Amino acid sequence: MEKHLLRITVNEQEYELYINPKSLLVEVIRDHLGFTGTKRGCESVSCGACTVMIDGMAVKSCSVLAMQVDGMNVTTSEGLEEKGQLHPIQKAFLDHGAYQCGFCTSGMLMSSKAFLDENPNPTTHEIREGIEGNLCRCTGYNSIVRALDAVAKGNYREDKA
Amino acid sequence: MKYNVINTHVHNIDGIEKVTGRATYTFDVKIPGMLYGKILRSPHPHARIVNIDSSKAIELMGVKAVVTGKDTLGVKQGIWRRYSELCDEQILPLEKVRYIGEPVAAVAAVTEEIAEQALDLIEVDYEVLPAVYEPMEAIKKGAPEVHEGVERNINVTRHIEWGDVEEAFENSDYIREDWFKCSGQAHMCMETRCAVASYTPDGKLTVWTSTQSPYYIQGLLSGVLGLRESDIRVIAHYVGGGFGGKFELDAAQFCSSVLSMKLSKPVKIVFSREEDFIATKRRTPMFYYVRTGVKKDGTFMARETRVFTDGGAYTGMGATALYLTGFFHSFPYKWAGYRYDGFRVYTNTLPSTSMRGFGAPQGMFCSETQIDLIARDLGIDRVEIRRKNAHTPNYEVPGQATIASCGLTECLDKIEEWIKSRGKLPPNRGIGISSYGFMSGGIFNWFDSPYSFSSAVVTINYDGKVDLHVGCQEIGQGSNTTMAIICAEELGVRIEDIRVHSGDTAECPPDLGAWGSRQTLMAGNATKMAAADAKRQLLEFATAKIKPNIVYDLDIKDRWVHLVARPERGLDYFEVVKDALRGKGGQRIVGRGFYTPHRKGMISPAYSYGVQALEIEVDPETGKIKLVNCVTAHDCGQPINPLGLHGQLEGAISMAAGYGFLEDMPMEDGKIMNPNLVDYKIIRATEMPETEVFEIDTYEPEGPFGAKEAGEGLTNPTAAALGNALFDALGISVKQLPITPEKVLNALREKKLEDNK
Amino acid sequence: MIKDFHYLRPNTVGEALDLISQYKDDCKIICGGQSLLILMRQGLVATDYLVDIKRVQGLNYINFDTNEGLKMGAATTHRAIEKSALIKDKFKVLADMENNLASIQVRNWGTIGGNLAHADAAGDPAPVLMTLGASVKVGSADDTRIISLDQFYVGLFETALKEDEIVLEVQVPVPASRSAAVYEKFNLLQSDQGIIAVAASMTLNGDSTCKEARIALGNAAPTTMRARKAEQTLVGGKLDDDLLEAAGVAASEEADPISDIHASEDYRRHLVKVLTMRMVKKAWEQAAISA
Repeated sequence: MEKHLLRITVNEQEYELYINPKSLLVEVIRDHLGFTGTKRGCESVSCGACTVMIDGMAVKSCSVLAMQVDGMNVTTSEGLEEKGQLHPIQKAFLDHGAYQCGFCTSGMLMSSKAFLDENPNPTTHEIREGIEGNLCRCTGYNSIVRALDAVAKGNYREDKA
Repeated sequence: MKYNVINTHVHNIDGIEKVTGRATYTFDVKIPGMLYGKILRSPHPHARIVNIDSSKAIELMGVKAVVTGKDTLGVKQGIWRRYSELCDEQILPLEKVRYIGEPVAAVAAVTEEIAEQALDLIEVDYEVLPAVYEPMEAIKKGAPEVHEGVERNINVTRHIEWGDVEEAFENSDYIREDWFKCSGQAHMCMETRCAVASYTPDGKLTVWTSTQSPYYIQGLLSGVLGLRESDIRVIAHYVGGGFGGKFELDAAQFCSSVLSMKLSKPVKIVFSREEDFIATKRRTPMFYYVRTGVKKDGTFMARETRVFTDGGAYTGMGATALYLTGFFHSFPYKWAGYRYDGFRVYTNTLPSTSMRGFGAPQGMFCSETQIDLIARDLGIDRVEIRRKNAHTPNYEVPGQATIASCGLTECLDKIEEWIKSRGKLPPNRGIGISSYGFMSGGIFNWFDSPYSFSSAVVTINYDGKVDLHVGCQEIGQGSNTTMAIICAEELGVRIEDIRVHSGDTAECPPDLGAWGSRQTLMAGNATKMAAADAKRQLLEFATAKIKPNIVYDLDIKDRWVHLVARPERGLDYFEVVKDALRGKGGQRIVGRGFYTPHRKGMISPAYSYGVQALEIEVDPETGKIKLVNCVTAHDCGQPINPLGLHGQLEGAISMAAGYGFLEDMPMEDGKIMNPNLVDYKIIRATEMPETEVFEIDTYEPEGPFGAKEAGEGLTNPTAAALGNALFDALGISVKQLPITPEKVLNALREKKLEDNK
Repeated sequence: MIKDFHYLRPNTVGEALDLISQYKDDCKIICGGQSLLILMRQGLVATDYLVDIKRVQGLNYINFDTNEGLKMGAATTHRAIEKSALIKDKFKVLADMENNLASIQVRNWGTIGGNLAHADAAGDPAPVLMTLGASVKVGSADDTRIISLDQFYVGLFETALKEDEIVLEVQVPVPASRSAAVYEKFNLLQSDQGIIAVAASMTLNGDSTCKEARIALGNAAPTTMRARKAEQTLVGGKLDDDLLEAAGVAASEEADPISDIHASEDYRRHLVKVLTMRMVKKAWEQAAISA
């Protein structure tokens, strides 16, 4: 099968790859580029562990053909920190114990970031809806909601660091 | 008691790796030359394997090996190593398959896709046998025999008894009997079962795997592969959840090892989510008959319970679940006479085993539901009837256990207070409660380990940084952090001074692993002992330097080595470390610790307690239940890591509530009908209620700094509380899990008919 | 595993339609792929040629005109519909329905055209659009035509599309005055597909009697269906409990639901009745206020 050229920016780094067009975005991210933060947990687009941001939108990367992301910007959990400085959401997760086994965490962080970027002043119910597409078997979600609420309330603004 | 590190707000020490995508799970492991393995599974619930022809599969380009049971030693393994009759599972069977999904062959190929294609080319001749799916059918005469020679398919029985049960019934004023059906449940860890096995020409095997106990996997692999135990290295640095489903040997570990040994190449097997549903053991479904006698003032007198469990095709941890369900079904109340008989029955379905709560959630559902019915029948307040019979400190469960610390009464008081504060509830709302008591690890050594149950080694480097080597396994419950906290507190340093090593049998001491909620108490005790040992050695040097009067003793707190009675006199910890190292000929200070419970009764060295209240809203027209609020008062002795503890509580609620009203594994002719996350319902952020926690302060003498378990006991009460909330709201009692809207509606219809009579 | 395919990415609608008329049965169309990719991964769908229309020009828009009504390009994402100020203002029921569809992630990439063409009887948009009197504009290389959504679903996962046609646009007429449309699905988890779903729109006369009723049921039959007998019980009537009961019973009887692990047929029929009564009442009350 002929391979296709895929130009994709991941975590602000440009890549050029030749891929089998049936490759899913998650396969390109994990297997071709080696960013293993993003995980897979199901075959039915249900669990959200594979969530990344494409041009700022949260998307389940197991359910997107990589070729459809040609020329676009992908952000994974590895791309949240800035020269070793954690993103406010990451700091909030640490402070609130918003993860336990950590397997859902990368996807959860990306859903969270996309959500808060779009809706910086959410109610807690909206936060719950914001992460509804991400399953977590360990935390019961409430610590994640508290973490995101703290970010939304401005507890992690740069000027407060 | 105020501590420097214990019970303070501490970040999970693995946190940075987990929130930055750096943590490498078995799912992520990639090794040069690695092959990908896939497993061929039986489509039949019961069949003889007549022949397996893999010749076409081997010919497929990219396929490197195909193995079946014939390529193995054929060892029947099981985790109950001391009892060979319970070691009944050849993971690649030689003679017959006993459940749909059971492995029959495994392939290794250069890509996953080729491995999958190869599966279609393996031809298996089966002689289909009659199958049996229900335990009550399987015990009948003439039912198909799942395992040869096991009469009536009953492979384990358990009996627990104390007091004079008949007399206790005779002295009862009121007797009630009820039947219950408790469902299975899938562990549904976010990381499915997976393993990377790498066998090298020097005869050594390294296995990266997602497990709750690297030590158990090491031992079990040794048994089935014929390798020396210490020539096997099991690595599990990051594990994506366990919940009781990952401390037995599974097909990913076994098949990848067998393939790797054949090829001397690394082989990776990752279960799909579907495989994880249909071919990994599940929570044990149980049929409960409960007969209870009480006095008219609510004093519990007698209970007689008979349980049949659906064991599925193999024993797994089912023998323990059978015992613990019967034991905790009596908890947390005092009974004059108690008798439990449990029967584990083989069926041609997915084997059942342990899952968080280990039979206690099932036991509590049946017990607590009936208690509310009895309270209603006698006109007694539901909190009062529980308080009247509650365990108290130093109570002896006759012949079974001595309870040391117990804060149950205070938990009941707290929940009663909360319920009163809610006042009159709006229509269609109800609050249900359930108590529980649970073990902090078991005293049992069915694995037949010669090692201490937990061990720890503390090594202090020149710069004062401490390397803590433990065998307890981090699976997300925070054990690495808990051990770091205990070590830091005991040694007198800060948590950032501790570096925890775990999850590697080559580098860490043996430990039975993360199950039965044992690690905080047992590994915690080992860690505390090791830290104390190291501290004692440091204090020798400090004492020599300070030269205080003999009446003074020394301690270390927050990096300050000082006289306890005169804390202003002391030395910097870092300076003492330097002196000690020099004084020991340049050797780092090493402290050792270990713990095995001795003479602690039949079950556990310590018991946690709690009471949970769940407020729900019911739609009486559709039967749909909405969780509104969940409040828990619990006694885990001394909390060690409050952030982690709160997380464990909320996680437990989400899993246990799921057991109560969402999760089910319906089968048709032995086939699981919903092996995916669309049809198997896991609770999401939008359905999770707000939670509140009250810590009840007690001190457990057997635990490190007075600590007991928390994470598993907290899964016990929620299904019961949910059922009781429904009873409170609408006066109906559903005795079959999960409590679905349709069951609620049917119960309402029945009640209407009853009321009209 | 997905079977290998040749990947084709046309730039315009014309190019896409030409490819489809060229390859016919040998090709499949992918837009958001949120339904298609699962089927391909499971081996239930395989194709030699995959035509990707996600970024074809001219299929991604939301327009409203006071005469023509609402027009949405087939490649408009669910999320765009959910967030559109225009839709929240003029067709709030659509925005609300989208808000509970699958998950944000799926809504960010999946499209309304793809969803409707997938023809899942449990899908959320179809019953809502049916009660709004919607149609789809479909096209091939040679022709375009408009198909009312009532006629669009012909069988289990089957639409009236010819093998060389694709959905191009969704058209929703301007709602009548004194009308309202509502939607609710019954599920255990908020964004799951409904075990049963009911959409209802009511148009009232000046005296608040029913002028027109449209009731569409989701997951109550092999296709999304109109509960026409239930509708007929309502026309000309006044809102009262007896009328609602009659409509609910009628809907539950004309539905054709299955029994599966989630619910028995009996319980599904019961849900059809309960939800129909609730939705009709809600639409009626909202229509009365809207006047």
